[in-house]
Amino acid sequence: MKLLQLGWNHRASAAAAREALAAVPVERVLAELKARGANEIVAISTCNRFELYAASTTSDPPQSELLLAALCDLAGADVAPEAEAREDAAAVAHLFSVAAGLDSLVVGETEILGQVKTAYDAAKSAGLTGKRLNVLFQRALYVGKKVRTETAIASGSSSVPSVAVQLAESIFGRLEGKSALILGAGAMAELAAKHLVARGIGRLTVANRTWERAYALAARFSGEAVKWDSLPDALVQADVLVSSTGAPTAVVTRAMVEAALRRRGGRSLFLIDIAMPRDIEESVHQLDGVFLYRLEDLESIVAKSMASRAGQIAAARAIVEAKSAEFDAWARSLESGREISLRHAPRPEI
Amino acid sequence: MIAQSVLSWAAFGFYCAAAFAALGYLSSKDERASRAMLLLLQIGFALHAAGFAARLAAFWAFPENRFFLPLNTFYGALSYMALALAAAFLLIEAPHRLGILGAFVLPWAALALGAAVALASPEVEPLAPQLRSYWLNLHPMLLMTAYAVLANASGVAVALLIQERQIKSRKPTELCYRLPSLDELDSLNGRIVAWAFPVLVAGLVMGFVWSYIDWGSVWAAGAKLRLSVISVFLYGAFLWQHFARGRRGRGTMYLSLAGFASVLVTFFLAELFSGRHSYLGGAAR
Repeated sequence: MKLLQLGWNHRASAAAAREALAAVPVERVLAELKARGANEIVAISTCNRFELYAASTTSDPPQSELLLAALCDLAGADVAPEAEAREDAAAVAHLFSVAAGLDSLVVGETEILGQVKTAYDAAKSAGLTGKRLNVLFQRALYVGKKVRTETAIASGSSSVPSVAVQLAESIFGRLEGKSALILGAGAMAELAAKHLVARGIGRLTVANRTWERAYALAARFSGEAVKWDSLPDALVQADVLVSSTGAPTAVVTRAMVEAALRRRGGRSLFLIDIAMPRDIEESVHQLDGVFLYRLEDLESIVAKSMASRAGQIAAARAIVEAKSAEFDAWARSLESGREISLRHAPRPEI
Repeated sequence: MIAQSVLSWAAFGFYCAAAFAALGYLSSKDERASRAMLLLLQIGFALHAAGFAARLAAFWAFPENRFFLPLNTFYGALSYMALALAAAFLLIEAPHRLGILGAFVLPWAALALGAAVALASPEVEPLAPQLRSYWLNLHPMLLMTAYAVLANASGVAVALLIQERQIKSRKPTELCYRLPSLDELDSLNGRIVAWAFPVLVAGLVMGFVWSYIDWGSVWAAGAKLRLSVISVFLYGAFLWQHFARGRRGRGTMYLSLAGFASVLVTFFLAELFSGRHSYLGGAAR
C-alpha cells in the first residue's frame, strides 16, 4: 500500500502556514482534493496542526506534489516549504503517536483523540475513505484509547484552571448543581469563569468593587452580578470561590468565612486565591470543610503532573511502536493478497 | 462437606485476588486492574454462593435442621457475612462505578471468609434444641446482614478520610483524582448506614424477643447486648448528625467508623465474656 502523510505542526512549521491552512474548512479541503482526483483522503485540522493522510493502491500512488499544489491554492499561500512528509510505516507511526497525544504541545492531552475522530468521520461521510484509511483510523483511535488506559500519560492536569476545576470535582463531584462566586473582574477572573462554565457549573455570580465591570463579566457568561457589600451573603451561597482582585489586603477574612459556615448547612467550601497580594486569609484553610488553594499550590500540582506524564512517554511510545509494526504487517499482507488478521482490530468497514 | 470446603477456599482465593487487584488499582492508573477486580469478585461470589448452598444442603440433611439457616457456628456466621458483604459491594459500589472502594471494602470480605475457612470448623451438626427456632433465621441473619452492609459503609468512610486529607494537604496525588468526590462519598456513606441501621435495630429487637420467650428476660445476653446497644447509639448519633443537622465530612465519618469498630468488638470480642452466644465461638462443634 502507499500511504502519504503531509503535516504542518506546532513543532516544525511556522504559525503563518498553519493559520493559513486552519482557515480553510475541512469540508472544502476534502471537496477540492476529491475534485482533483484523490480517492482516499483524511484531513486533520486543529489549532496546533494540519495533517493530510492520503492512500491508494501501489499502481496509482498519491502524488505529494499534486496534494501540496492543491493545499497552496486552498490556503492562498505557499505552505509547501514548511510541510513535513512521511510515507507508509513512518506515516502510520506518526498518526498513532498523534492519536496517543505524544505529538501534542501538552503531552497526553485527550482532546486530540476527539479531533482525529472528527476528521475521520468527515472524510468517511464525504466518501473519501477506503479499506486502508478506514482500518488505519479505527486503529489509531484504538491505540489512542489504549495508551490512555494503560499508561498515566493523560493523568493529572496540564493548566492552572483545569487543576482548579479538577479539585472542585474531587470535592463536589459533578459541578452541575453547584454555584461559583468570582471576586474581581480581570483577565484571571474571566479565565476562571470560562473554565467553570465549560465544566457545567450551575450558577455563576460575580462581585467586584466596580459594579459595572462585575455586571459586564457576569453578562458574558449568563451569570449574575452582586454588589460588593453583599459578599457575606454570596459566600453562603457559593461552593467554589475564585478570587483575583487587586485589593491591597485580604477581602475574605476568617471571621467572614466562619460566619458563612454557620449558615451553609455543612457544605464544603472551595476557595481559590490567585491574587497577589492575597485576597483570602490563609488561616481559613484550617477550618473544617474549607479548602483554600493559592496560585502556587495549583502551579506546583501542574508541574508535578507534567513531570509524571513525561515519565510515561516511554511506555506510551512502546505501545505506539508495537501497534505500528502490527499495522504495517497487515498492510503488507494486504498487498501480497494473503490478508492476515489484526489482533483486536475493529472490523474494517468497507 | 468436601464440596463446601473446596468451594469456600476457592472463593477465599478469589476474594484475596480481588482485594489485591483493587489495591493495585489504587496505586496505579491501570483501568485493567479495576476490571480484573470486578471479574475476580464475581467469580469468587459465585463460588462462595455455591459453597454456601452446599453447606445448606448438608445442614438440611438433618431433619431437625430443616428450614433453619446454618448461622449457629462461627464458620456459618462468618461465611454468611462475607457472602453478604460481597453481594452488598456488587449491588452498591459496582453499579456506581465506585470499584476503587473495593480496596477498602474487599479486604473485609477476604478476612471474614479467611477466618472461617482457616480457623473454624466447617462441620454441620443437628441444632441444639433451644436453637430450633425461627428466631434463629431472623435474629442472627438480620444482624449479620447489617454488619456486612456496615462494613461497606466503613470502607466508604475510610475512603472519605483519605480523600479529605488529600485535598487538605494541597499536594493531592493521583489517588485524589481516582477516588470519588467528598460529596459522593459522604452521601453514599449516609445512605448505606441509613439502610443498614433499621436492619441492625430489627435484628437486635428480634434478639430481645427471642431471649424473652426462651429465658423470660430481654437482658439475658449480657455483655454482647450492652455492646450492641453502643453500636446502635453510635450509628444513631451519626444518622442524626448527618440527616438532621446536615453535618458533613470528617467529624461524622469518625462516628460512623466508631460504630463499625463497636460492631467488630461486639462480634469478635464479646464471645469471650458472653455465655449465651458462646455457641458462635465453636462450642457447637
